[in-house]
Amino acid sequence: MQGHSLKRRLLALALTTVVVVWVGASTFVYFDAREEFDEVLDAHLAQDAALLSAQAAHELDELETDHAPLLHKYARRVAFQIWEGGKILRMHSANTTQRHLADIENGFSDSIIEGHRWRVFSAWDETGQFLIHVAERADVREELARDIAGNLLEPLLFSLPLLALLLWIAVARGLRPLDELAAELERRDPETLTPLDAGAAPREVLPLIERLNRLFTRIDSTFQRERRFTADAAHELRTPVAGIKAQAQVARSASGAAERNHALDNAILGCDRAAHLIEQLLTLARVDALDVGVAQSCRLRDIAAGEIAVIAPVALDKGVHIELPEGNEVTVRGNPELLRILARNLIDNAVRHTPAGTTVRVVVMQQEGLASLSVCDDGSGISEQEMSRVSERFYRPADTQASGSGLGLSIVRRIAEVHGAAVHFSRADNARGLCVAVTFRP
Amino acid sequence: MRVLVVEDDALLGDAIQAGLKQAGYAVDWMKDGVSADHALGTEAYAAVVLDLGLPRLSGLEVLQRLRSRNSSMPVLILTARDTVNDRIKGLDAGADDYLLKPFDMGELAARLRALIRRASGKADLLLQVAGVKLDPAAHRVSCREQPVELSPKEFAVLHALLLSAGKVLSRAQLEEQLYAWGEEVESNAVEVHIHHLRRKLFPELIETIRGVGYLIAADKAD
Repeated sequence: MQGHSLKRRLLALALTTVVVVWVGASTFVYFDAREEFDEVLDAHLAQDAALLSAQAAHELDELETDHAPLLHKYARRVAFQIWEGGKILRMHSANTTQRHLADIENGFSDSIIEGHRWRVFSAWDETGQFLIHVAERADVREELARDIAGNLLEPLLFSLPLLALLLWIAVARGLRPLDELAAELERRDPETLTPLDAGAAPREVLPLIERLNRLFTRIDSTFQRERRFTADAAHELRTPVAGIKAQAQVARSASGAAERNHALDNAILGCDRAAHLIEQLLTLARVDALDVGVAQSCRLRDIAAGEIAVIAPVALDKGVHIELPEGNEVTVRGNPELLRILARNLIDNAVRHTPAGTTVRVVVMQQEGLASLSVCDDGSGISEQEMSRVSERFYRPADTQASGSGLGLSIVRRIAEVHGAAVHFSRADNARGLCVAVTFRP
Repeated sequence: MRVLVVEDDALLGDAIQAGLKQAGYAVDWMKDGVSADHALGTEAYAAVVLDLGLPRLSGLEVLQRLRSRNSSMPVLILTARDTVNDRIKGLDAGADDYLLKPFDMGELAARLRALIRRASGKADLLLQVAGVKLDPAAHRVSCREQPVELSPKEFAVLHALLLSAGKVLSRAQLEEQLYAWGEEVESNAVEVHIHHLRRKLFPELIETIRGVGYLIAADKAD
């Protein structure tokens, strides 16, 4: 499997958490135990000192030796000294030197003697005759606390591998829905775009499945649109070819010159239309594959004027006048080549659908911060129902006398799309023709 | 023979109309499904050439509506869609034949002839009654082995009567077969054509049933 493993990651996190909590608990126990020991053992020291002082007053003279023997294995770690008048060492445990165990004469203190830390309690006896030091090696306390904390940590060391194994099994079981999803996707061939079953999926995986299903739906509709487009393109090319062939055959078996010329003229017209259709198909294919690229500042009025100049001769032949009312230059950001194709198709479409002797109005303006290019014709217009369909590929309104490819507005819509612009259809002001407006976002 | 062509493409429709006229048919041309449906509901055609991709009402729907009116009018589908599925759909919807664009005008005319012949229940390529032979494909007529020159309209009247040999055709029915919609029909045109046919062939061939129409008797067939 590529990348990091979710299972391994979960296992590592869980184990780390267990270790951190366990060690934390042990540390807490260690410090807590030390504190408790300090208190208890300090109390013992004080008690011992009291005992010694009580005995010192009465029995010290009866003792033969000045140092007491070591009676217990821990005895090396406890010590005492009894100083008469604070100056003469009258009695001491075997493990002490001739020097004071502590510098102070009352209360608890810490001293370092022969490289060991000692906890010392010092006090004068009731008569004020003897100074008593009772000491205990400090490392005894640490040892005890460490032992207790260590006893806690020990089972962790042994149980960690077992814990890891159990966690691994639990994590694997918990992640089974993901494995199942992966297996299901693995089994699919790339053509299968039916939605995944979200029924049994856990809540955490559901968003993933929903996103995937949405993606599948979108890819599926794209595929279908592509297939439909290919089929439509073939259909659209076959019809003009059929027309040309039929006209040529009619011309061949025509009985008179007039009939033959009519058919031949129509065959040539058919070739022009087929060429136009092929041109539009190629444009659409190119536009489909393009995006804006590096957006440039484009002068919309300049572009419109340039395209009008190209179409004007054809329009004049047809008796159609194109006008572009004066106004300020409007700039939009986009791809100038695509915007030229957009303008050409809008104007060409209007010229094709308006009768002779009428005017096509091209308006470039900036209103409420929105730049727009609109083209209105004086044709017979189209119904509301058709307005929603005119930009479908190959759609031609019924009763149309014009010779369009049915692709012009699809090209316009596609270019508008990649520029984030909106295409709006409406009736022209004279309530007859069609207005197509492309509005650019600021 | 009067046929209906339903085709939305201006150039192709124009060519089919002209080509079928050359083949001797009277042709009505409709450019959308709704007008075609209307024409089929009111007029009697010998056959229909139907494009499938039509505005307003698809060719398949036009065909289904025609068949739902119990009409057995021969229908030839003309289409650019050539998957097996498309063909099956077309034929199942009630089409009699299927021609893929681009097609040959000669083939279209021949298939129409075959459809019309089959619809009339005649298996022979040549229509023969009482020594009169009519060859629809070659547009030739002979009487007792002698070739006879007929005008296109006379040929069409004789063709219609021979196809319905043994049945009476009214003057209106013959007119319908002769003229496309919008064509000028002279009031006594059918009588004139019948008169010429009787003169060029022989008078007894076509009988007049007064107040009803005309008849070529089938029992005279050999």
